[in-house]
Amino acid sequence: MSEHFIERPRYVCALGGATATITALPGGIPILHSASGCTGNFAWSQNGGSGLQVGGYCGTLSIPSSNVQERDVVFGGDARLREQIESTLKIMDGSIFAVLTGCVTEVIGDDIKTVVSDFRAQGVPIIGAETGGFKGNAYWGYDLALQALFRDFLERGVAKVKKSVNLWGVVPSADPFWRGNLEGIRNLLEALGLTVNSFFLAEDTIDGIRKAAGAELNIVVSHVYGVEAAKAFEEMHGVPYLSVPLPIGASASEAFLKTVSKVLNLSDKKVRAVITREKRAYFRFLEPMTDCFNDLDLQRYAVVVGDANYATSITKFLADDLGWLPELTICTDPLKDEEKQRLVAQLDRLESKYSPTLVFETDGSRAVEHLQKKWPPSSGQKYYNAFSPAFVIGSSLERELAQAIGAPHLSVSFPVANRAILDRGYTGFRGGLRLVEDVLSTVIAGR
Amino acid sequence: MSYIDLKSPPKREDRLKACIAHGGTICEMAGAKGKKSCLHDDGDRAFTQGSICLLLPALAMLNSLPDNVVLLHSAIGCGGCTHSQNANVRFGGSVRWGKVKDGIWISTAMDETDVISGGEDKLEQAIIEADRRYRPFSITVVAGCVPGIIGDDIDGVVQRVQPQVTAKLLPVHCEGFKTKIWATAYDAVYHGIGRTLLREGEQQSGENGLAPFKGLERLPRTVNLMNVSSMGRIDELELERLLRSIDLDVNVFPVFTHPENMVKATQAALSISTCPTHDDYFLGYLEERFGVPSIIRHMPIGIENTGLWLRDVAARFGEEELAERIIEQEERELKEALAPFRKLFEGKRVFISAGEFRALATARLLEEIGFTVAGIRSFHHDKFAEVEYQKLAESTKEDYVIDIADVQPFEEANLLKKLKPDLFLGHANGNGTASKLGIPTHVIYNTGLAYIGYKGVYEIARRLHRQLTNPIYNRKLSENVRLPYSDGWYRADPFSYINTRGGVAA
Repeated sequence: MSEHFIERPRYVCALGGATATITALPGGIPILHSASGCTGNFAWSQNGGSGLQVGGYCGTLSIPSSNVQERDVVFGGDARLREQIESTLKIMDGSIFAVLTGCVTEVIGDDIKTVVSDFRAQGVPIIGAETGGFKGNAYWGYDLALQALFRDFLERGVAKVKKSVNLWGVVPSADPFWRGNLEGIRNLLEALGLTVNSFFLAEDTIDGIRKAAGAELNIVVSHVYGVEAAKAFEEMHGVPYLSVPLPIGASASEAFLKTVSKVLNLSDKKVRAVITREKRAYFRFLEPMTDCFNDLDLQRYAVVVGDANYATSITKFLADDLGWLPELTICTDPLKDEEKQRLVAQLDRLESKYSPTLVFETDGSRAVEHLQKKWPPSSGQKYYNAFSPAFVIGSSLERELAQAIGAPHLSVSFPVANRAILDRGYTGFRGGLRLVEDVLSTVIAGR
Repeated sequence: MSYIDLKSPPKREDRLKACIAHGGTICEMAGAKGKKSCLHDDGDRAFTQGSICLLLPALAMLNSLPDNVVLLHSAIGCGGCTHSQNANVRFGGSVRWGKVKDGIWISTAMDETDVISGGEDKLEQAIIEADRRYRPFSITVVAGCVPGIIGDDIDGVVQRVQPQVTAKLLPVHCEGFKTKIWATAYDAVYHGIGRTLLREGEQQSGENGLAPFKGLERLPRTVNLMNVSSMGRIDELELERLLRSIDLDVNVFPVFTHPENMVKATQAALSISTCPTHDDYFLGYLEERFGVPSIIRHMPIGIENTGLWLRDVAARFGEEELAERIIEQEERELKEALAPFRKLFEGKRVFISAGEFRALATARLLEEIGFTVAGIRSFHHDKFAEVEYQKLAESTKEDYVIDIADVQPFEEANLLKKLKPDLFLGHANGNGTASKLGIPTHVIYNTGLAYIGYKGVYEIARRLHRQLTNPIYNRKLSENVRLPYSDGWYRADPFSYINTRGGVAA
């Protein structure tokens, strides 16, 4: 990791994350108060990294943006922003509008809070967030956008509804499998008899979101993404939150269901019934693969490279469900120490007792060096315990690593340039099956 | 003192009086009503949608350079576009050298501390570390908005650090808020190349003081074929084929050129542009400082334009007769090959959207293969395009709309609803609006596809025939999703949000 730069950053900025988050809301219209190129940059980034998904209802180059210029830098951009909001309300058809600031307008100190509250006072469903790119990456922008949503849009004092929960922690576009992943978890929660508001899926409505403060619990399926927003939610609306790892596959999903039902005091019987049913189906699907799994010797060493959701959760799945040996796990997000500790703890308690090496490294090209520390390269000796057969799960940038160590490779974490992704997800019991299919299909592609 | 002596090039709204906000018609743009074709009095929109900035096209060029590290000095998001441009880097490397390699781009990821206390030290350290880690031939130091606004002096940093590193350092200014004309990107990159790799004063003096870079000789049959990333290898090959047919050797410049070899550009007998939106800035430099004359007029897209382009080149080498014979044969073969497609195209109305010159030349091409132009959106306007508007004004039977807009899909949605064209051609990430309206679409620029020269005409026709043979994907899409505009907007004048400053724009 360099102190001075980040190599091939695997995320855009806070503004980019916030923009994708608003676009993903039902009828969400972002209004960028930024330079003209920000939206285009996000569009091109999604084009190359989000598994062929770009934009949405109001995404990419359709996004209203004040496109501030040099004269606004000199004279301030408030007047331009007011004009832009007024015209946006006439032209765009939306359920929620969100003013999001970029680097330029934040450095010059434009006061969006006053502008936004003036419009809100007139009854416009509008929120505002300060998401200048220098404040952090897309994951932090997601958190900031959610904080603004919870603060400025959610009705306060709504009656609590038993067995209703809000779900977040999977970041639109930044996780190319965001829709499938949210759906997989939503399905798990619904199986428990819960009513779920997941903000970003076709099932979610703007009215449901407005009443989100009536939930009994907020479930954040991430150790990092959206956690600060959950704290803010609790402060503002008195709803507690649960932060759990992204549940990929059978073991993690079972643990997830148990944790959620314990917190919500659901009946043990109900939870056990759901787990039994799901596991039965899971192993019915898995059972006939067993011969080929053995005959083709499909156990692998693995390197997992990913964001803070995927790096550890995929590692756990490989170690605790598939029986692979994920020797090296690299998390490419720049994280705070406390966030790192949460990821470390997740891999400290593996059921398989396997202990992977977890490294925090933003620069993907250093993966080979980290691997060689643990698995030194051959010096031509007759008997050599090689890192082979191996597999690389990472982003599409890990194709270079895979090539260097002669291993097959699957892109899962952003950027995913070489896969088409629509409703696919890896969460839940079924998500684990999807991951096994995708990984093994890659291994046997030449068969 | 000329532009190249400045730290950064002037923006195009100043240098070329380029503009981005105007609603007009083809006859008006061609000057039929006595309007000045260069809209000195550019308008402003009271409503705008985001587009791109000069950083994106600049990075498309810089990422293609082998043995170069792109070092972005900005906030973490700038340069995210590289994730899609990297596909071009990988594919481009593969078709040119048989090697697939990701581009190397890094970011100083300026944070709040840097904004407050300045990012120069961080940049300095980043350059030194990048030099040691990657050992590149060159590092292009690209400034985004943040250093531009807090006043980091990247040229000063580069000057300070250069003696400590092996890599050649090229500062490239891409502060997005400083220009609304993103074509300034080409000037910015060329400016960096000119000031660093092809520095004046390093050539031997010829009779008139103009000669190739030191130690190199003039190559009387070699031409520079300028490509700023608007052509893929397949299009380069088509133009190389045509230029070879009049006995010329081709040096493609600058994309996918090793920075060390860029000096070859000073040896050429002629530089040939394929797009006046791209190269005028640098062609002037090559001519003034190294005595390489240039042609920058027609874009070799379409039958007539390819012929005009080739004739211009041939005339410089006294090969007019040879060129006429080649053009005659090429056109005969092409027209025969196009015949089976024409029936499906005949009378269909098409709307075209792209960078100004590309949009206009493609419009002419589409007329040549049987379509009728229903409207054009050019991403900007400057004086170079006058000739193209005139060609189109002459060839059309009816006047049609011209929208000068840095994309602005809301105007497009409004226009398309009214015009109901049978086909839409748009730029990358620019076909979604038409698709959601159920109009058959095709991408007007993609470095993996052929567009240029005679073969380009044939390949476009082939692809459009394929698209029009089964356009049901867009139709079904339009029946099930909607655009994010209010019903009232579709009833309004498409240009009602264009304000003109200080009087009339037209």
